[in-house]
Amino acid sequence: MRLDLPPPSSQPGIEPRASLRRRLDVALRLALPWVSLLVCVFLLSAFSSLPGESALLFGICLGSVYFWSAHLPESMPSWAVFLVGLEADLISFGPPGTILIALLVVHGVAHTWRYGLSRINFLPGWGLFAALCIILSLFQWVVACVGALRFIPPMSALFQAGLSIGIYPTLSALFVRVHRAIVNPDRA
Amino acid sequence: MLSIQARQALAKLFLPFFFLLASAFLVLGVARRPLVDHVRLEIEDVLAPAYALMAQPGEKLRHVWDDVRAFARLGSENVRLRQENEKLRRWYDVAVALANENAQLKANLHWIPENAPRFVSGHTIRDAGGLYGRAILLAAGAGQDIHVGDVALDAKGLIGRVTEVGSRTSRILLVTDQASRLPVMLESSHGTAIMAGDGSATPRLLFYAQNNHPLEGERVFTSEQLPPAGEAADEFSGLPGGLPVGVVHYVRAGEPVVVPDGDVEHPDIVRVFDYGHTSTQGPEAPGRMKRAPAAGAPFPLVPGRPG
Repeated sequence: MRLDLPPPSSQPGIEPRASLRRRLDVALRLALPWVSLLVCVFLLSAFSSLPGESALLFGICLGSVYFWSAHLPESMPSWAVFLVGLEADLISFGPPGTILIALLVVHGVAHTWRYGLSRINFLPGWGLFAALCIILSLFQWVVACVGALRFIPPMSALFQAGLSIGIYPTLSALFVRVHRAIVNPDRA
Repeated sequence: MLSIQARQALAKLFLPFFFLLASAFLVLGVARRPLVDHVRLEIEDVLAPAYALMAQPGEKLRHVWDDVRAFARLGSENVRLRQENEKLRRWYDVAVALANENAQLKANLHWIPENAPRFVSGHTIRDAGGLYGRAILLAAGAGQDIHVGDVALDAKGLIGRVTEVGSRTSRILLVTDQASRLPVMLESSHGTAIMAGDGSATPRLLFYAQNNHPLEGERVFTSEQLPPAGEAADEFSGLPGGLPVGVVHYVRAGEPVVVPDGDVEHPDIVRVFDYGHTSTQGPEAPGRMKRAPAAGAPFPLVPGRPG
């Protein structure tokens, strides 16, 4: 006996047909975070008159990777994190490899603890991000000291950590809105 | 087509794999920093036109802003310029008289004129120092005959030296960078010292004679530095003497620093001078040449050894 069911797309609770246009739409929505981060790294490196440009670059990269890896891991895959880190390291003239490792560490932590992070409030999540920023900035400072073979005052590293921690709430508020409005596969 | 379990297992392996790659890059950066910096400069060479394109609107906006600000203080600026013009007219007469006298003295002494250095000017594209360095990227490179070691000056004085050269861009290490060490001469105390950058806007003065301390406010000039001997002589330029660097200032007792004349914070248009590779090293003095010991010398030339 053959049942005359309506097409699946019109049934509630069933996903619409995965047409090429829809798949492309979902892929573009999910690619927006890492593609915009790639563009942002390039733009930040171009404006040399911006005060604290290197520290800002570090903060925006860490904040973006932390947020998207925790809240929508599909939009920040590990290969994209690697790509962004490599671009940031090659365009900036800091100690090579340090931004790359910092981004992978943040991605690893946020991705592994994403279920825990989704259950806790913003403040503990921010606290974890702050701890990561301080540790990774100091790691970058140690590598810079080893590369230069002398003691470099750690003020720049602390300023970078402070700036990264300070801009995260603003970044997070922006990303929440973007997540709801654009980077949302259900809206495709 | 891989199963879901296989794809999940593969996805878990990606992160450790990228960590390994990143660690390898970090080790390469520490062990072979010049190689990484060379790759970075190659990338900057490719990106340089894009940077120049992006800088144009900002530059135009800055000019408009400068015009608006100048318009707002047009009256006071006019008064200041008139006073300065009167002062400069007097100095112009003095300068002409001194130039004539100088030319006459040089003619009397059969003075051999020094070669005029070649120079190229370029815009600063971007900061190239990162968090811990002080360097800039200039929109001129090997195509404009720039060499490693060439000196970079802005309108007021020395700001740094060329450290890496690409085909269209070159990196200039500023005098404020922690790796910068330059030999300098002090005008009034006639002393010499090493000017060492420390990341701040005012490089420190080191290794000056303890019985001849630098004086507050005296002018600082570069001291001549010969290019390295051997095969590297053709690759690195020496440092010419007498280029204006800045003035001495004591931040606290016993800590003299140099306040640079040039704008080391935000240099815009930079001139790179090529003073050539010829050194002014004199011929070897005959009095210092080793002579073979004469037969039957009364004293051994080296103690403990027969002559």
